[in-house]
Amino acid sequence: MDLRSVLSAIAETTLRTGLPVPAPREAVYRWAQPLGLPRNGRVYLYTGALYQLVPYIKAYVSLLEQLGKGGSRLAKLASTRLAARVVRPDRRESELVEGILSSIARLLSRAGVEYAYLYEDDLYSGVLLYDLGLEEAFRKHAARVYEALRRRGAEKLITVDPHTTYVMRSVYPEYVEGFSIEVVNYLELLAERLGSKPARAPGSLGAMVIHDPCLYARALGIVEQPRRLLKAAGVEVLEPRRSGRMTYCCGGPVEALSPRLARRIAEARLRELREKSERVVTLCPICYANLSRVARDETIVDIALVLAKGFLGVDGGAAAGE
Amino acid sequence: MSRVLREVEEALEDDSLRRALERAAENNERNVARVLERHPEVEHLAREVEEAKKSVIERLDYYIDKAMESLRRVGARPYLAETPEEAREIVAGIVGRGKLVVMSKSMVAEELRLREHLEALGNRVWETDLGQLLVQLENGRPMHTIAPAVHISRVEAARLVSERLGLELSSGSPEEIVEAVRRFLREKLVHADVGITGANAVAADTGAVFLVENEGNIRIVSGLSRKHVVVTGVDKIMPTILDAFKAVLVQAAYAGLYPPTYVNVTAGPSSTADIELHRVYGAQGPREVHVVLVDNGRRRAARHPVLSEQLRCIRCGRCQLECPVWQQSANHWGGRVYGGPMGLGWTAVTESLEVAAEAAMLCLGCMRCDLVCPMEIPLSRIAAWLKRQYTRRMGLSG
Repeated sequence: MDLRSVLSAIAETTLRTGLPVPAPREAVYRWAQPLGLPRNGRVYLYTGALYQLVPYIKAYVSLLEQLGKGGSRLAKLASTRLAARVVRPDRRESELVEGILSSIARLLSRAGVEYAYLYEDDLYSGVLLYDLGLEEAFRKHAARVYEALRRRGAEKLITVDPHTTYVMRSVYPEYVEGFSIEVVNYLELLAERLGSKPARAPGSLGAMVIHDPCLYARALGIVEQPRRLLKAAGVEVLEPRRSGRMTYCCGGPVEALSPRLARRIAEARLRELREKSERVVTLCPICYANLSRVARDETIVDIALVLAKGFLGVDGGAAAGE
Repeated sequence: MSRVLREVEEALEDDSLRRALERAAENNERNVARVLERHPEVEHLAREVEEAKKSVIERLDYYIDKAMESLRRVGARPYLAETPEEAREIVAGIVGRGKLVVMSKSMVAEELRLREHLEALGNRVWETDLGQLLVQLENGRPMHTIAPAVHISRVEAARLVSERLGLELSSGSPEEIVEAVRRFLREKLVHADVGITGANAVAADTGAVFLVENEGNIRIVSGLSRKHVVVTGVDKIMPTILDAFKAVLVQAAYAGLYPPTYVNVTAGPSSTADIELHRVYGAQGPREVHVVLVDNGRRRAARHPVLSEQLRCIRCGRCQLECPVWQQSANHWGGRVYGGPMGLGWTAVTESLEVAAEAAMLCLGCMRCDLVCPMEIPLSRIAAWLKRQYTRRMGLSG
């Protein structure tokens, strides 16, 4: 597979369908339907679809890997409507992602945050286009996203992952004229409201090693909040050799261009995490996907599921990794 | 598949490379942390060096003129070479043919393919830095700025030294290799006609050339031959002799080797006036000191809004050792000479924007390099800019 074909497939698919990989639109907001979240407001939960896309990205990358062997003509096929039928995510992974997002929604309600949900306007942020240097495609896509948010009267967005938080907070204002929506991450909100008093006895949920995502740690300064929350939830937080601001990338960002390189970096990071515990807590869907791809007897769990268990007593399927 | 991607993926298959890089990265991280803890003043020095570098880049032509003037004043012979070809011709003119030449490791010499050029002219040329000598013996290329042979194991080093130099080894231990190479090179160093070094800093106010090292080869290369040729990039110019000294200390500290065993300062050729106060050049040290300041894209980069940032780099190589991609691939990820995070910018400046842009596509954007760079160069921003150049060149801009 050559770089150009992968990049052009991603740009073309995003501009045509709004999502960087072939996936049905309803896969983005299906998780929220049982919760009955309000549709209108000024403060919106904005997932940016990244969690929901992870199962599709994984399926798509393996499709690309297979097509890659057939050359670039086949790779072009991957960007067509036909590909949407071929990309079939693992059902269990989709359920897991839906469990994570509903845990986040419930935790926000528990913290007394009032918010509405965007449903069909919960559009993909376009962060991958930006990360891959597809600047013009990103600019066009971002303008559409902003238009939808403006139409819904959004004044403040609650984001749930580092990539979407970063791109909305730091990149949109540079690329989208007039963008002035406030962006707050759910961990910042939860830490403020739930982080000060323990919900469970210290360490009652056992020990876990924390893997900080690069963007939270280095670009957004979200380091202390997840630790405070995990501790209040009853987790003993273990620090790996490289943690906090000096955290080490999971390799995920190059997954589409070199799955082998991404895998090697993930293996190196997992070895390091493993030195502290085989129970790893991740804070980002990309880290989750890339580390779980190489995990053997280690358990990789998203922080939202751990917090749901600690604060809500809910076992979101795989809370705290059991 | 692209050339860079292919080379990186091939490197992924090399288990001994991965282990060597892991060890080097861990050691460097620990060493730098220890140095900075014990000598917190180094971080202040780094800020001063950064400011001094910025002032030079803003007025690069002025400082080049000033450095050349100062070099002349102390009896050295300065040259400004715009292209690698020009630089090679200048050095070849100084060296001549059929000579014995000793070199100390220089990345700018690698840019120029200087050793190969001088050999083609019938000179015998020896690298005297142990790592760089190993790279010469394997016909390879340096895999790190400070530790060029970071990819070569002790077993491989012993094999190269015994097969290529015919040196007899029994245990093949690092100590034995070092001793054997010391004896082998000693004879070359004593009889060399010309010594060629790089420079870690050149002081514009005085023409003093600074070189920092631990092996002790540089002081012999620069001090024993009749002719000392310095080949360095114009980015190494610092405003004053004090700034230059600070720059080499900072470089050594962030390479994890502090204090450096040796700092060599050369301000013109050796001389004596001990007989009737009559100045005679060429006492125990060199009679001629030639300083070739190499442009090779640097002056153009100094006017560029993004690439100018790269010129502040002091080549400590810390960003390489801290980078997850580099830790898997070493300088296979990059251009012909420079690899890793700093190598993306340097490749764009000195080799090819196209090569740099393609390599940049593998940058994770994780920003670890930004955090560890002592010159606070926004390395990940340079990589992001290069990615945009790549998509433009590929016709994918929108």
